[in-house]
Amino acid sequence: MTYRSIGIATACALVASHAILPANAQTSSDAQAILAELRTMKQAYESRITALENKIIRMEAAKSTGATKPNSTPGGSTRTIRDNSFNPSIGIILNGKATSFSEDSSNIAGFAIGEEGERGKEGLSIDESELNFSANIDDKFYGSLTTAIVREGTEDKIELEEAYVMTLPDAGLPAGSRIKAGRAFWTLGYLNEHHSHADDFADRPLPYRAYLNKAYNDDGIEVSYVLPTDFYSEIGGGIFRGDDFPFGGSTGGLDTFSAFARIGGDIGDNQNWRLGAYTLRGNATSRATGEGAVTFNGDTNLYAADLRYTWAPTGNPREQELILQAEFFHRDEEGRYTDTGAGTGTVAYNEASSGWYAQSVYKFAPSWRVGARYSQLLAANVPTGLAGSALDNGGHDPYSVSVMGDWTNSEYGRLRLQYNYEELTKNQEDHQVVLQYIMSFGAHGAHAF
Amino acid sequence: MNKTLVSLTTVVLAAGLIAPPPAHAEIRVFACEPEWAALAREIGGDKIDAFSATHAGQDPHHIRAKPSLIAKIRRTDLLFCSGAGLEVGWLPLLLQRGAPARIQPGKPGYLMATDHIEVLEQTTVTDRSFGDVHPEGNPHAHLDPRNLPLLATVLQQRLATLDKINAEYYRDRAANFTAAWGRRLAAWEVRRSALKGMPVIVHHRTWSYMVRWLGLREIASLESKPGIPPTPSHLSALLQTVRTQPVKAILLTPYDPTGPADWLHGKTGIPIVTLPYTVSRDAGPGALARLFENMLSQLERAHGIR
Repeated sequence: MTYRSIGIATACALVASHAILPANAQTSSDAQAILAELRTMKQAYESRITALENKIIRMEAAKSTGATKPNSTPGGSTRTIRDNSFNPSIGIILNGKATSFSEDSSNIAGFAIGEEGERGKEGLSIDESELNFSANIDDKFYGSLTTAIVREGTEDKIELEEAYVMTLPDAGLPAGSRIKAGRAFWTLGYLNEHHSHADDFADRPLPYRAYLNKAYNDDGIEVSYVLPTDFYSEIGGGIFRGDDFPFGGSTGGLDTFSAFARIGGDIGDNQNWRLGAYTLRGNATSRATGEGAVTFNGDTNLYAADLRYTWAPTGNPREQELILQAEFFHRDEEGRYTDTGAGTGTVAYNEASSGWYAQSVYKFAPSWRVGARYSQLLAANVPTGLAGSALDNGGHDPYSVSVMGDWTNSEYGRLRLQYNYEELTKNQEDHQVVLQYIMSFGAHGAHAF
Repeated sequence: MNKTLVSLTTVVLAAGLIAPPPAHAEIRVFACEPEWAALAREIGGDKIDAFSATHAGQDPHHIRAKPSLIAKIRRTDLLFCSGAGLEVGWLPLLLQRGAPARIQPGKPGYLMATDHIEVLEQTTVTDRSFGDVHPEGNPHAHLDPRNLPLLATVLQQRLATLDKINAEYYRDRAANFTAAWGRRLAAWEVRRSALKGMPVIVHHRTWSYMVRWLGLREIASLESKPGIPPTPSHLSALLQTVRTQPVKAILLTPYDPTGPADWLHGKTGIPIVTLPYTVSRDAGPGALARLFENMLSQLERAHGIR
């Protein structure tokens, strides 16, 4: 060991001891020296950072003097159009109502309806709060899950509205075809595919309440195919479990199915239309309606047709738009009805009924719309055994007239005031007023036509 | 009977599968906006058939995914749009519904203009209390004419990939277009310097690319927040701003509502200038050049240059 190394070792020891004992009077000048050195280092780094920052500013200035192209390889684009930068997209719908009815009863003459088809609650209440997650699963599949939190009695319950997977165009199926499996609001008429928050009125029209218990979202699988024609044309069909209204009590047989066909097109630049025909067939086992009093067993077949027409005078539906929409439903049932409320016993039944609505909504300013709707049900002939039961309309066809006005602040928030005049049973005149808000946040996918 | 039915079905299916492609084997271009259809016609000539989903009077951010568009996109070879969220309300739906695999994101048949140019106003703010905010940035990219030759090149490459037989044809047309456009840009340079610093008010931030190209001074926008209709309080604040500094014009697109601009014009006399935002739906060759000529002349008039 040389003297030199001993010297370095001593110096190190001294520095170390000074560092440990900074209060030592003899060493304070050394500490000052170290601090000074640190300051110089800091200054040096700061000046280098400033130089780098200036360099970046200069580069950016040079870049912005002319348009540049970062990427031009065919197929090399990576940015996709999507509704949110999150994966999965998450969307929340909040929904609340203040409702007033002038009648205590809301029986529909000639129709025993399911629980969800009944008129809403009176007073202040929140409607279904929806939570949606959706994403492309990979290049071949897309998935979506929508739950609704609803108040049933005194409890908040989670209902699974939709949980489906769907093929993407890359899945290798023939162009224009798609398979959707799981639980979904299936293709049937116009409104059924849409979530109720997208509706133009605060409640669903009478045929949806009577025939679909608001909406048909059974478990199943649906195939559809857009034909390669100049105008829009699409055909499809599905097979379902048969557990959701108007069916029920399924044991898993493959006897519930649907089929549909749709066409559509333009009239000039600013008018569009779509026309569809649908059928949904299956059977019900112990389907309970009318608050549990009415039971049906048998085949129930539904036929529907819908027409939608939109006209945006300038081509911009955001500024001004007129929408006309109508749907017609026809139901054919063969089986046995029992109404314990009327004490009918089990009665053989083979009859048909129908219902329809027509509505018009006019947006006269970007944030303001007004609308009117008429809906009506035409009850079936009633077999003698069911006279006086819930299925006997007493010579009255239930109808409902609605007018509404709504204010849309942005794509994400809407307030609505609606008035309904309903005479669903003879002399049961119900004046209803609904004040409603529908707000959404998070990703909010585009709505179909 | 059953056998006949089976064989008949087989014949129909086989005929469908082996049917030759239609005689006119041209590339079908689905453009979301008329400017891209026009550019496609400049480069693709008679080898393509370009269709524009929107017309010049429409705000491409707010149209519906209408049935006729599903039918159109079903048979498309090349999709050419602005991107950056401009078509977010309807294009994803069309892409999912009926669009073929060859035009899905990442494929050569999927071309978004804003993927290939420098995008303005990109932000990380996604709070919707700031309005209809698009973090992807401003999509109105065709309003800076310097972007068009860049896109012509990308488009030519895509067309050549999709239709190899005519690759040379596309290359020649793109070269001619780019050269002619370069000469125009040089001619516009003189007029551009005369407009530099011209103070303007816009309705929506549609004009940012043009404002940057010409070096205009954007004093304010009539919308208080993007996508939210102008409020009375914002307009009266704007009136104060305008009284303290000169503004030469209120710039509108043909699809902007005219109410707020009319109000401000009535109070201050500042002229309203409705600039063409794009070309007509079936615009032929030269239409894009005329679009910028027209824009420059209107601005020059408002600025008192001619």
